[in-house]
Amino acid sequence: MNLITRVLVEVQELTLLIWRVVRGLSRSPRYWSETVRQMDTLGFGSLAIILLTGTFTGMVLALNSANTLQKFGVQSVTGQLVATSLIRELGPVLTCLMLAGRVGSGIAAELGSMLVSEQIDAMRALGTDPIKKLVAPRIIALVAMAPILTVICDFVGVLGGLFVSITLLHQPSTVYMASARDAVDYNEIIGGLIKPTVFGFIIAIIGCYKGLSTTGGTVGVGRSTTQSVVVASIMVIAVDFLLSKLIISLLLEP
Amino acid sequence: MTNNFNAIEFQDVSLAFGDNVILNRVSFHVRYGESKIVMGGSGTGKSTLLRLVLGLLKPDSGRILVDGEDITNYNEEQLMKVRSKIGMVFQEGALFDSLSVYDNVAYRLREQKVPEETIQAVVMRMLRFVDLEDAVGKMPNELSGGMRRRVGIARALVGNPKIILYDEPTAGLDPITARTICELALKLRDLEEVSSIFVTHRLQDMEVLANEYVIRDDSGNLIFEHEGDRLCLINTKFIMLKDGDIIFSGTDEEMKLEDNPYIRRFLS
Repeated sequence: MNLITRVLVEVQELTLLIWRVVRGLSRSPRYWSETVRQMDTLGFGSLAIILLTGTFTGMVLALNSANTLQKFGVQSVTGQLVATSLIRELGPVLTCLMLAGRVGSGIAAELGSMLVSEQIDAMRALGTDPIKKLVAPRIIALVAMAPILTVICDFVGVLGGLFVSITLLHQPSTVYMASARDAVDYNEIIGGLIKPTVFGFIIAIIGCYKGLSTTGGTVGVGRSTTQSVVVASIMVIAVDFLLSKLIISLLLEP
Repeated sequence: MTNNFNAIEFQDVSLAFGDNVILNRVSFHVRYGESKIVMGGSGTGKSTLLRLVLGLLKPDSGRILVDGEDITNYNEEQLMKVRSKIGMVFQEGALFDSLSVYDNVAYRLREQKVPEETIQAVVMRMLRFVDLEDAVGKMPNELSGGMRRRVGIARALVGNPKIILYDEPTAGLDPITARTICELALKLRDLEEVSSIFVTHRLQDMEVLANEYVIRDDSGNLIFEHEGDRLCLINTKFIMLKDGDIIFSGTDEEMKLEDNPYIRRFLS
């Protein structure tokens, strides 16, 4: 099978999986308790890395931008630069890249192991649809949790910037916060929430797809895991560009 | 021709993965209460046969009937109903490794939203049947290979399916544990009248399943007897697969008289 055919087959399989998830959601049984459990594992479990990512990103943004802004005599807008960068771009992208690394790989590894050890077949033999039991809860969990984690990332990022502004740039906190508040309006926030919702879906569906299409035993599980991280990360960055263009033209252009 | 004596029936079933032909116009049937032992070397399509019965795979052509229903073109939802009549014992047990032994055995009933008191009674009865009551709270990774397969059997028996499929349940086990597994299959065949397909490539399994039977005496004790002492077993038949074809179908006595070189080599 050449590369183009293989890509087309993968796209077809992925589309079919999405269709089966959507169709499954409209019919019982629905596994809500499993969904909540996944929200806890995938979402709350990622809180620590998101807090660290957000904080340090906000700190480094403030640090790097301050020098340049000082040249133009507008160091007072550091807060605005940090907040805008985080809410529009870095919050959603970095949060979701971290999720692709931590959660997407975990999903692919878990489902891949279940597949090669025949647990998926056993589940079907026992009368459970793995799409409803395993795939749908993970997708719903990540679509719900990615925006929440992004908001947390944005928030701690702004606080990280504040910390650097006070301690290293010797800027009054009121100046930084007032400038940051200026940057935030509803359209920015909505734009910043659309992105992680879409990215969450991408990470979950690619993790599930790669896991469920594992072949070749434990080596195959490793391969699926790696592929899920690589594909999800690239997709997040590529789709980010398209979404940015869309959000700018729909929400942010005057 | 369909009749109501067959728990499972294959009619001219073919399946290929690309150029690799797995089954080539295979036809056979399993009567109610009968055990069909499927033998053959690795990669001859034995396990594929079981996946076709469960509807986990679809044949390229031919028809598959389970309990009189033609399941060939059933969708996943229709297959779920058919699967409730079938218990499957996987090669390595295929236990859910994040669930305890209790939760594994209880799985099917939990999915059916059965009350917890009923579940508990059924789970304990099944674990008693496979003699693993003490392992109820353990996780699969704490069990030996033989124990995992016995839990797999207990899980397959929940819901009292009248058809059981065994996918090499004795592969890689020591002779004593393998015999325990075969004895469980005998109990299900002779005492519960379960129809089954037993996939194996071990001659020892063939000897036990074809030559022994189990009865319950007046005081309820199980007694394993050899064929020929009091009766001749007619509820256990064999098929031998080679390169996607059935090269033998019949009883163990007939198989031992075959002069096909592959079968002779297999039995030697």
